[in-house]
This record gives sequence, C-alpha cells and structure tokens, in this order.
Amino acid sequence: MRNSVNRPPTPDAVEIQQKRPTLEEIINIKLIESGEKERLMELLRERLTECGWKDDMKSLCRALIQKKGRNNVTVDDLVHVITPEGRASIPDSIKAELLQRIRTFLLQAAV
Amino acid sequence: MSVPNDDSVSPQNQLSSHFFADLLDSIIVDVASECHRIARLGLDRNLEEEEEELRLSAQARAKVADPSNSGETNSKYVVDIFGQTHPAVANEVFECMNCGRSIVAGRFAPHLEKCMGKGRKARLKVTRSSTAAQNRFSRSSPVSTYSPYSNSASTNRLSNGTAGHSGEEYSNGTLEEP
Repeated sequence: MRNSVNRPPTPDAVEIQQKRPTLEEIINIKLIESGEKERLMELLRERLTECGWKDDMKSLCRALIQKKGRNNVTVDDLVHVITPEGRASIPDSIKAELLQRIRTFLLQAAV
Repeated sequence: MSVPNDDSVSPQNQLSSHFFADLLDSIIVDVASECHRIARLGLDRNLEEEEEELRLSAQARAKVADPSNSGETNSKYVVDIFGQTHPAVANEVFECMNCGRSIVAGRFAPHLEKCMGKGRKARLKVTRSSTAAQNRFSRSSPVSTYSPYSNSASTNRLSNGTAGHSGEEYSNGTLEEP
C-alpha cells in the first residue's frame, strides 16, 4: 500500500521521450486520423497502376520467381528486387502530384 | 528529377518527401506480397507456359534458319507446322452436287468446268438451268419457248422437273449424252 501511495515519479528520460514526439510523428498521426493518408495511398496506387508501373514491377517479380523457383521465393526477396527499381522508375508527374498534395496538407495542418 | 523547387532541402519539402517515400514503400511491399502469394499458390498459369513458349519459339527459329530444310523446292515432302505432309494432288473423293458423280477433289475444278460451264456437252445441261433461272427472274411462266437446243421434248421435261427450281437441282437426274 505504501508503494501505491508513494510511488516514485516516472524517470525523466522516459518522460522526455514521451513528451516530445517528433514533428514527423505528429504529422503522421494527423494524416492517419484525418483519413488523408488512406486517400493519398489510394491515389498513388491508382496512378501507378494507370501508368503501368505496377505491371513493370510484377514482371520483375515474375522474372525473379522463374529464376529462383516459385516455392523458394520470399516476400523479402521480392521487396529487395523491386525497391530500387521502383523508386527510380516513378514518373515525375506522379511524384509531383503527390508531393503537392502532401504539402497542401502540411500547410493546412498548420503545425 | 524535375521537382520545381529551389529550396528542395527546406524542412517542409523534406517532410513531404519523407511521407511520399513512406507511401511508396507501403505500396511496394503490397505489390511484392501480392506477387509472392500468386507465385506460391500457383495462380499464375502463364508462368510455366511462358518458358515453354520461349523454348518452342527458339526451336522453331532454329529450324527455319537451318539451311537443310528447303521449303520451296520439294513441296511434296515439306512438313507444315502441324507436322503433316500434303500430296501435290488432293486425295479425297466426294460427290459432285451438280451431276452426282464421284469426283476426286484434286480434279474437281476441271470437272465442274465441264459439268457446269464451257464444254459443248455442258451447254445442253446449261440450257435447262439457265432458262429455268431466266424464267424465274424475268417472267413468272415456267415454260419457255426460247431456247436454242430444246424441242418439244425438252420443253416437256422443263415443265415437269425444273419449274420453280434453281438451276442447280435436277430432280430427274442428269442429262448425260455420250
């Protein structure tokens, strides 16, 4: 009983971490809570499918699968194959569109 | 990359890029996971078929490029894409719809010429059919008196057999004169 009444205060280090979330985290939470993150994801997915980026990535996957054998491939392998090519082959217009929307959101989120 | 900003390292742009990269990574993982699932479940029927096709087309190309198969010269023995050979003259025998005789398919065209068209003997047959056709399309009377070869005998035959028929059918059999 003494323990519960005289509980020592939470140590400082932990307190600091909890009290000062990064800007990123704050904005991330705002994005998610407002539903904007979901909308942005859908928009990006749609654009990438339209322009054929998704099909290109899929054929990269298929090539790896044929090489390695379809039961030997892991998701990790595929991610490692797609990531560099995927990041590099994003069309500029799509990237610009998404960045614009994110920036707009940041402005009106007014942190 | 053509991001139209001179302050591309400004915190705001950095932040935007960070979130964009975050979204992109999520989508990449989604695509990879989807492909992995399809591969593991064997849902992609084309996977093995593509390999087969590549092999077969490479094989076919090798055959075509191979100079020992001269396709044009000995047409009797050349093999088509299904692996069949065809003789120079077609073998099948069937019935001529004009005169009813059994004709070899390879000789059908010359036979039809005689049977329907240009020969002297064919003309006599043609008389009946062409006059019947003329009668049908120009006048409605089935009996014609205008025919170069017919006499009263053939006129009778006309009215019996071919009135209203198209010139191709003969209910009375053939008019065959040796």
